[in-house]
Amino acid sequence: MYYIVIKMIGEFEYLILSSAARLGTNAYGASIRSEIEKATGRRCSIGALYTTLDRLEVKGFVKTWMGEPTAERGGRSKRLVQVTATGVKEASHFFRAIARISKGVSWTANRLTTR
Amino acid sequence: MDGKSADDPMTSRMNWPIVLWLSGFLEQPEREAVLGDLTEDSKNRGGAIADVLGLVVRRRTAVLLDLRLWLTIAFVILPVSYLLCAIAQTTAGVGAVYSWMYLNNWNWALTRNAGFWHLLGEIAVSFGITCFVLACWSWSAGFLIGRLPNVIVRASRNMFIVLLVAAFQLDDAPGHIIRFLISLHGLPLGPSLPDYNAPVTGNVFYRVFFPWIALAILVILPAFSGIRQANRSLLLAWKMRIVLVTAAASSLLIMLIHAPGFGLLLGAPQRDWLGRNRNAMQVLLLLSCWPMFYFIALRFGRRGRPKAVMAQ
Repeated sequence: MYYIVIKMIGEFEYLILSSAARLGTNAYGASIRSEIEKATGRRCSIGALYTTLDRLEVKGFVKTWMGEPTAERGGRSKRLVQVTATGVKEASHFFRAIARISKGVSWTANRLTTR
Repeated sequence: MDGKSADDPMTSRMNWPIVLWLSGFLEQPEREAVLGDLTEDSKNRGGAIADVLGLVVRRRTAVLLDLRLWLTIAFVILPVSYLLCAIAQTTAGVGAVYSWMYLNNWNWALTRNAGFWHLLGEIAVSFGITCFVLACWSWSAGFLIGRLPNVIVRASRNMFIVLLVAAFQLDDAPGHIIRFLISLHGLPLGPSLPDYNAPVTGNVFYRVFFPWIALAILVILPAFSGIRQANRSLLLAWKMRIVLVTAAASSLLIMLIHAPGFGLLLGAPQRDWLGRNRNAMQVLLLLSCWPMFYFIALRFGRRGRPKAVMAQ
């Protein structure tokens, strides 16, 4: 028996990649966190954010570096984030997969489970 | 904590010192980024403790689950800390005997004896070299630990100190090695000898405090210096870094050869060869002193560098 192992990014990884891509040059810890919280309506912990960012960086999906210190941050630097070409490819692959599998599914009345 | 109290500026101000303290457990760049994010998002400082604590716990757990850490502990830190302890105990024992001999039994009449000064000079030089070589081995061990991957270097350093102190609690660490090696060969253990140094070990200072002082000065301080220098060596060219790591690893191999009971690991011909080539062993000891050459080179390197580069 053969198993096909599908290596896809996780949903939280997708949220970070999308936020970072949307924010462009202004993508860093606090701004990505704020974007995710606005989009999901849920709290995003710093621990989850930074450890997932590390994982994405190890996989080569994002590039991070320390920026210049700014006054509004009490003279502390930002960890700036940029999505790489591989990251864009993986995120769009994930999005297409979700879009394909969601085609024809209606979640509004929860019909699938009640029928 | 409910959302209302978390957003309360008073609560936030009270929480901030705890946040700062907790963030000390993070690596410097990450600490900088996290504190900056929390400062920017000042309304949410109430949850800052949970945020930073969560990140610290995640980081610590990731380190503890890292196989590299446990392999390093098993194959590098455990044997090296035990050997350093055994050698430090032997050195401290010898130092305690000589100190007791000269300081606790000082006799001014002896100072008029030329033979007294000759012997004192010989002992001072030989014991000084022994201490210096031990400090160099400890420095090399620290240097190798400092060159480990960033993720595990802090945990490895802490484990190194814990194991050093734990091994030092063992009474007669060198004796344990020798008895273990003898039992490996299936040889009978000899009768235990009377403690000829009982007057020295009877003194609380020489029995309790002196060995710890020796451990701190000859092992722990040089090891910390080695770890710090390993961090600084990241600025050097990669070829140079390879040379330094090779020198540190060779130094620890030389330490193994000089460890108590090493001869028991060898066959009779090899033991005889070592016995016949004592001079070669002395040269190896000189190579162990590579940190001294490293510091000299560093000093001359700094002096030779143009001022403009230094200013950068």
